Amino acid sequence: MNDGKRENSELRTRFQEFGTQNSQLGIHNLEAATRNPRTGTQKQIWITDVATVTALGNNLQELWQRLLAGQTAIKPVTRFPVHNYNAHIAACIEDLKPLGGRSMVQILLDQLCNGMGPVPSDSLLITATTKAGIDSFERLRRGIGADSQDVLPSRIPDMISQKFGLACKAINISAACASSTIAIGCGAGLIASGRAETVLVCCVDLVTEFIFSGFSCLQALSPVPCQPFDRDRRGLTLGEGASALLLMSAERARQENRSFLGTILGWGVANDAAHITAPARDGCGLIQAIHQAFKKAGLQAEEIAAISAHGTGTVHNDLMELIAFREVFGRREVPIHSVKGAIGHTMGAAGGIEVALGLKTLAAKVVPPTVGYCNPEKGAEGVVSPEPEDMVGDYLLTTNSGFGGVNAAIILGRGSID
Amino acid sequence: MIVVITGIGWVTVAGMGRGREHGSFAMIDGQLPKFDRKAAFEKPYQHFGRMDEYSKLGLAAIAFALKDAGLDEWEEKRDIGIIASTVYGCLSTDIKYYDTVIPEEGLLASPSLFAYTLPNCFLGEAAIRFGLTGASFVVNEQALSGLTSLRMAVDSIAWGESETMLAGVCDLGCPPNFVVPGRAVPGAVFFVIERNYNRKCSHYGELLLDKKGAIFFKGCEIEDLKELVRKCLSI
Repeated sequence: MNDGKRENSELRTRFQEFGTQNSQLGIHNLEAATRNPRTGTQKQIWITDVATVTALGNNLQELWQRLLAGQTAIKPVTRFPVHNYNAHIAACIEDLKPLGGRSMVQILLDQLCNGMGPVPSDSLLITATTKAGIDSFERLRRGIGADSQDVLPSRIPDMISQKFGLACKAINISAACASSTIAIGCGAGLIASGRAETVLVCCVDLVTEFIFSGFSCLQALSPVPCQPFDRDRRGLTLGEGASALLLMSAERARQENRSFLGTILGWGVANDAAHITAPARDGCGLIQAIHQAFKKAGLQAEEIAAISAHGTGTVHNDLMELIAFREVFGRREVPIHSVKGAIGHTMGAAGGIEVALGLKTLAAKVVPPTVGYCNPEKGAEGVVSPEPEDMVGDYLLTTNSGFGGVNAAIILGRGSID
Repeated sequence: MIVVITGIGWVTVAGMGRGREHGSFAMIDGQLPKFDRKAAFEKPYQHFGRMDEYSKLGLAAIAFALKDAGLDEWEEKRDIGIIASTVYGCLSTDIKYYDTVIPEEGLLASPSLFAYTLPNCFLGEAAIRFGLTGASFVVNEQALSGLTSLRMAVDSIAWGESETMLAGVCDLGCPPNFVVPGRAVPGAVFFVIERNYNRKCSHYGELLLDKKGAIFFKGCEIEDLKELVRKCLSI
């Protein structure tokens, strides 16, 4: 990995420049809103409720248990013909199919919302999806009856608002595979700035022919179940799923006697400015996003106990992440894991599902296995594991990257186990 | 939080331009003007030709805005982000892409079209062309006031994530023969907003975002982006 070492050396120079720039920014209106969590002066953002639906489980507990057991939901695709593509597998949710003219996304969201408890009617709503009801779009283009209402991503907030009786205008964030990570960061920012007391974040994406054919023609799909951080990895495997997280200010959560599942301490978003469909080889955007998250959280790199990486299983993404993490964490071996070998790459929903799993990781103090990982890529030895590992520490970094050069990072803190 | 507006750029049915060299500005329904690379970029830029129409539209408006702010030239990447609102996003490109999938059961699927079937990709193109490393993402809304992206951009500056942000709207409108609920006239408008105004060029005025999310420009509350452009241009 000579190129990686040379790049890391160049990266250190860039990192020093970035650090100097940061110190010149000074104190700003919202920067003071979140501080070191140990001082007690932080305006805390709690996660008080969470739900997931994925191909590996109809709820978060099932997903967590099966993930810990090293299971995978990746199997042959039967939903549409795949014989002309360079992969024939994905993590599709069993029995998920359109009902009448309704998109599968509506059915998936129904199931997701049924897994959530009461949501305050004054909650703001931010959703994250890259292609919404793309299955309806496909049927419409083929001249088959479908509800055109499902096609646009801006419709997803409407669907969820109606289910929970929310009054506020809602938006969808679209930022490729970092969509839900950014949505969570935006929600946290609204609470930390005092502009909201409670924000519901919902994320969803489907596996359909549109998506599958696209990643296939980009030569991005692995013909075998993806192998994150493995030296023999051959690409990503698609998956589908949804996640919902209810964020609240700590004050509001205490007033309502809500569960304290975890806390969002910091978040960051940055662009590589390098390539549209490939990550920057030096991980510059991811490094920048991670440092933004550190700054908001008031934490240092050495306080991070584990990393939930994007870990798609593509040659370039996983290598970029290893380079970026090495640059940020130096020689310290911070445990890294990816869940995409278990549930596939759920695109716009990935960040939300991974934050939900991050809460379980922190609560159980167990880093889940990286399913599909067998032979380590250089740089992954000793930090990525095919088995669950004990977690020592209180803070989890979760990262995602996507088309358009976007990178996003979130730092989670442990909630109460009561 | 107070920021200043230092640049405006647009491509609308009524024409294209930028604040300091504007003929007129109007955000009206109709057919967008055809434009090529030369309309937005003086120097050759080969990537432009292979982009989809949605990306060209957004990138051109961003180029005009950055030029208006005196930020189009660069040597080192800058920590500038872009937030864009849209209703229909890249739906037109989705149609073109999927039309390559349907025949021959995917054998002819176009990778060059698929690369642009995410509405944030034009932000990536802008980031590459202008060296912009700040936060970039798209906000999907059912109707465009244009203020959501502006609010989020001001928040990004307030968080210390960037000193300068671009915020605006980009939409091709509803594709013909594809009836999908939503309201947006075709066009793209972007503002450059900055926190610390210490550069040697004029600015259009101060923008205030209050705690409730209301936006004020020169003391008046703004209801939508078109109104803000007109106030900046004093038209």
